Amino acid sequence: MKALVFERKVARYAASRLASTIKGSGSGAKLSPISFQEIGTPDLPGEGWHELDVVLSGICGSDLATIDGRSSRYYEDIVSFPFVPGHEIVAKTKEGSRVVIEPVLHCATRSIQPLCSPCSEGNTQLCQNLAFGDLEPGLQTGYCSTTLGGWGPKVLAHESQIHEVPDNLSDEEAVLVEPMACSVHAALKALGEDGAKVAVIGAGTLGLGVIAALSQFCPVSTIIAAAKYPHQQRMAKQLGAEVVVGPSSFRDAIRRASSSMMHGPWLTAGADITFDCVGSSSSISEALQVTKPGGRIVMVGMPGPTKVDLAPFWHREIKMEGSYAYGTESLGNTFKLAMEMIAAKGLGALVSAKYPLHRYEEAIRHAAQAGGRDGVKVVFEITTEKSRR
Amino acid sequence: MPRPGFVLETDKSTPPTMFWNGEGFRMEKLPSGSRVIYAPEPLKPLDDADASIQQALLNPAGDMPPLPELLKPGMRLTIAFDDVSLPLPPMKRPDNRQRVIEAVLEMAARAGVDDVVLIAALALHRRMTENELRHALGDRVYDSFAPHGLLTQHDAEDPDAIVHIGKTEHGEDVELNRRAAESDLIVYVNINLVAMDGGHKSVGTGLASYKSIKHHHNVKTMTHSKSFMDQERSELHSSNWRMGRFLKDAGVKIFQIETTLNTDTFPKEFAFLQKREWEWKLRDRVSYMGVSKALDRTPPRVARSIFNSVLSPHQMTSVQAGEVEAVHKITTENVYRQQLVEVEGQTDIFTMGLPYIGPYNVNSILNPILVACMGLGYFFNLYRGKPLVRQGGVLIMTHPTPWAFNPVHHPSYIDFFDQVLSETTDPLVIEAKYEESFATDPWYRHLYRTGHAYHGVHPFYMWYWCSHALEHLSRVIVVGGDPRSVKRLGFHPATTLGDALEIASDVVGRNPSISHFHAPPLMIADVK
Amino acid sequence: MPKTSEPDIPKTPSAAQQLGKAFAKSAAMAVRPPFPLSKPNWPNGVARPEEVSRLGVNYDTEWSRSYPARIVRAAFLDWLSKPVARAIAPATVLGEDRLAGLDFATNPVILAPNHASHVDTLVLLTSLPEQLRHRTIVAAAADYFFDTRVKSALWALTTAAIPIERNKVNRRSAQVAADLLNEGWSLLIYPEGGRTPDGWIQKFSGGAAYLSLKTGTPVVPIYLKGTRSVMAKGSSKIRQSPTTVIFGNPMPPAAHEDARKFASAIEDEVAKLADEAENDWWSATLRAAKGTTPSLAGPDAPAWRRTWELGRSAK
Repeated sequence: MKALVFERKVARYAASRLASTIKGSGSGAKLSPISFQEIGTPDLPGEGWHELDVVLSGICGSDLATIDGRSSRYYEDIVSFPFVPGHEIVAKTKEGSRVVIEPVLHCATRSIQPLCSPCSEGNTQLCQNLAFGDLEPGLQTGYCSTTLGGWGPKVLAHESQIHEVPDNLSDEEAVLVEPMACSVHAALKALGEDGAKVAVIGAGTLGLGVIAALSQFCPVSTIIAAAKYPHQQRMAKQLGAEVVVGPSSFRDAIRRASSSMMHGPWLTAGADITFDCVGSSSSISEALQVTKPGGRIVMVGMPGPTKVDLAPFWHREIKMEGSYAYGTESLGNTFKLAMEMIAAKGLGALVSAKYPLHRYEEAIRHAAQAGGRDGVKVVFEITTEKSRR
Repeated sequence: MPRPGFVLETDKSTPPTMFWNGEGFRMEKLPSGSRVIYAPEPLKPLDDADASIQQALLNPAGDMPPLPELLKPGMRLTIAFDDVSLPLPPMKRPDNRQRVIEAVLEMAARAGVDDVVLIAALALHRRMTENELRHALGDRVYDSFAPHGLLTQHDAEDPDAIVHIGKTEHGEDVELNRRAAESDLIVYVNINLVAMDGGHKSVGTGLASYKSIKHHHNVKTMTHSKSFMDQERSELHSSNWRMGRFLKDAGVKIFQIETTLNTDTFPKEFAFLQKREWEWKLRDRVSYMGVSKALDRTPPRVARSIFNSVLSPHQMTSVQAGEVEAVHKITTENVYRQQLVEVEGQTDIFTMGLPYIGPYNVNSILNPILVACMGLGYFFNLYRGKPLVRQGGVLIMTHPTPWAFNPVHHPSYIDFFDQVLSETTDPLVIEAKYEESFATDPWYRHLYRTGHAYHGVHPFYMWYWCSHALEHLSRVIVVGGDPRSVKRLGFHPATTLGDALEIASDVVGRNPSISHFHAPPLMIADVK
Repeated sequence: MPKTSEPDIPKTPSAAQQLGKAFAKSAAMAVRPPFPLSKPNWPNGVARPEEVSRLGVNYDTEWSRSYPARIVRAAFLDWLSKPVARAIAPATVLGEDRLAGLDFATNPVILAPNHASHVDTLVLLTSLPEQLRHRTIVAAAADYFFDTRVKSALWALTTAAIPIERNKVNRRSAQVAADLLNEGWSLLIYPEGGRTPDGWIQKFSGGAAYLSLKTGTPVVPIYLKGTRSVMAKGSSKIRQSPTTVIFGNPMPPAAHEDARKFASAIEDEVAKLADEAENDWWSATLRAAKGTTPSLAGPDAPAWRRTWELGRSAK
């Protein structure tokens, strides 16, 4: 079978980084260490593991960062090469039931006993054994050489990773469960802050998901969102943001909503909680400008090495917290909550294009430019691939 | 002898018509049979303005003694004056206000009045800069009063400087600048550029608070002012008049001085701007071509600053003083004498070229909201009788409508454009949903009080100004405007006049009647 | 800035005098050729007819108002005098707007400033509105500026000076000035008749008032401040110092019946302008209305005290 494979090739890595710098994100696919090649099906790594047929697999922002050569070196020791990327996966079991995979490769998947303390509490996203046990190192399916990934016809999954998809969700909606679970996990950090004014930076999949999750689960008072493109603005509005503006008006909108004064670019008051669903140095700086003293910033988008002036972070006693993946929330399992929300909000429309694997260069370019091309989520469709062959 | 206004019916041989287009011009060939309405030529100014001022102060109109009799040693005298929104463009020095205020002060000095304070009656407009005050009042007055803190600018948001006088029989709150209210005499010095200005609006609005002003600056009043250039049919004025009379009954004594200007609007270099195209001499054609070619190559910022430096040669055509209503009656006649143009019947399509300047962007940018207000608020309302365009007709205006704002002068406009017009353009919804939050926003209040920003609520008024036109018209088309901002305003962008007429045709058909309003110079269409 | 006293004794000749003398000397040094190449001697015994002096008040300045002379003067004023004035006595000009309504081409004015220094004329002429600058003639003391031909020509050319008597009304010079006013020329005349010896203003004589009444020309009172610091009377040194020129409202002659009263009204107006320049217009107007405008004539006291007071009043 043929799958997209990411190998450790330093020269290619550098080249794709250069290309993406010069020509913009997504344009490095051709040069990057990714290739569409024949691979064998590995053995199941142990007990409780199943081989699944991939149906749809999404292209995530973190995938793009990897392809562009922009992801942090932090991950070097918790991935293993070569790997098949893809962690937003809808698949079919041998029995024919539709499932989604919760990709974190935590203690249970690695046959590690006893479980590390976060795992034992259900917070698998915080698992401390990502590089140990039966599997090669890998933080998630799609970054591990043992398990395959979503960008190929088959993927291996441990039973603890498998969630059955309810019938009321289409495949398109199901492929959003993983990213929406990230959004839900982030948004639930606003639980207990009733009446808070919340700012959301970025209106890609994660940003829109956070808006949807906030309005679904959290009784916050006002959601103010910055969205670059008109279709994003429309969706942000539909999903429950009260005020949606272009990035250049974001600060003004929050200033107004929080009845704030200003010192230069800094709001004297501001949002109670800011969700940064971009993760760039400019979005973090912006978050620092619009978050009230003593407020919180939740980092949802994956950041890399950035340069940010932390003076306001210190002086305004801002709390910054990461929000990675999903696990168990006070309301229950994050994946279950995400499915519930997707059904309630009808989020299938976020999937804006499907590509067969062999058109991966095009697909990746599209994903990188999704916003500008009126899109949100780009996915690979594997069944089509099979039937064409 | 200046010629009165003129309505030209175009035919094939008519030269193209000049349209104002922001900081530039367009030449447009109007379809045969269109009407072009030209302003009357400038009236002859007063021979000796200063002598006429003396004359007016000594022989007041209405029930009011001559000014010197009102001036007593030991009294509190407050002189309030119109702000930078008048006249347009700013006039060459000396400004009417300087002439009149100096004359008043000379009399006050002779009468031994020591306690004198000057107040710029700017209502919710932005505070004037030192240069603007010097220009309006002259250096002598400025240097005499400003250093001692006796030249003040009305602050509608200073709780200590506003007094609540009471409520009119219609329940309208009447609030006034404390110093003015507690003075023995308010002398108000006005420049009446258009028929809307002056009268009870001077003190009643100029020195009032938001709480007071909102009783007449709202959608209901504006849609019932047809037009607000015609006092008799303007709900805006009825409310102001009620408040003015209430003030009078409450014992606030006002000596009103109003002046009018002729329509000699542009300096010699731009003489072609106030000539009818077929009368352009070689000199006019050369300067038109020179100016417009040069402007084509000038960045907007520079073009703006060039135009902002234009000082108008307009001169005083009348000055009258005394009791507010009696004075304003004469003033209005004088404005009409200069500006009325008789027009027979309404039209399907109303075209206009919007200039670079309006009352609220002196030394600034005509931002998209002000573009809308200029066209739909001001020019549309420059009528008496019936609107120039029929109910359900189409308005076509030319202006580049850039997405550009002056953040110092118009901070709340930016947010209004980004956060309000992006949601809705319906004046009633806007009023109900957003007005209060803008009006009470602490940051706008701070900028209004300490900087040079219009009050937070001001962009709403601009939009309400448009409400009569929005209700009356079925379509508004902006030729040459930035499509993004034009669409945000809820209007239709068009590249050429031809396209605009095409867009209009599904509303008004293939053979619409077209009237072009060739202003500025300003005029009022007296539609029979 | 307190000023030290300067005794009113001519110490060194002024620049103008020096220039005049130098010209005279060089003329005398030329070797005289024989008749008929040179002037014939007047035979002894033949009575000389009384020669009318062509200098002083009799100097005919008509040529200096011809177009070529005007062009030279305009160039001189704008290209030389102006930069010089700006360099040595940069002037703040106030009250120009009071002249704004006047059309000088048809309605001349009489400019009546106080007089403290030789640089007054320079500062004032270069501060006049464009339209007025090139149609203003200057009344200059006949005895001082028109004592030699060269000097006369020089002054007539560069400042359009006309000779007048200092303190009395000379019929001829007054008539010339009146005629010129009637022709549309504006006239700069110092009503004090000469520069102040001690910094205080001298009594205004009636010349300007008389001409105004005679021709119906309005008088523009002017206060010049700071020129004495640039070059005081009796000093030959020029010190750079800022100056102020403040124009008053044109005073129509109609309201005044006689020259003396009119002259003192002009003096009052200049005093008020001085107050305005020192303080501000409104307080000056208030003081004028109350009759408490500070006097410019100084105390009636010995010289040292007058100087002392001047130092106190100059801020």
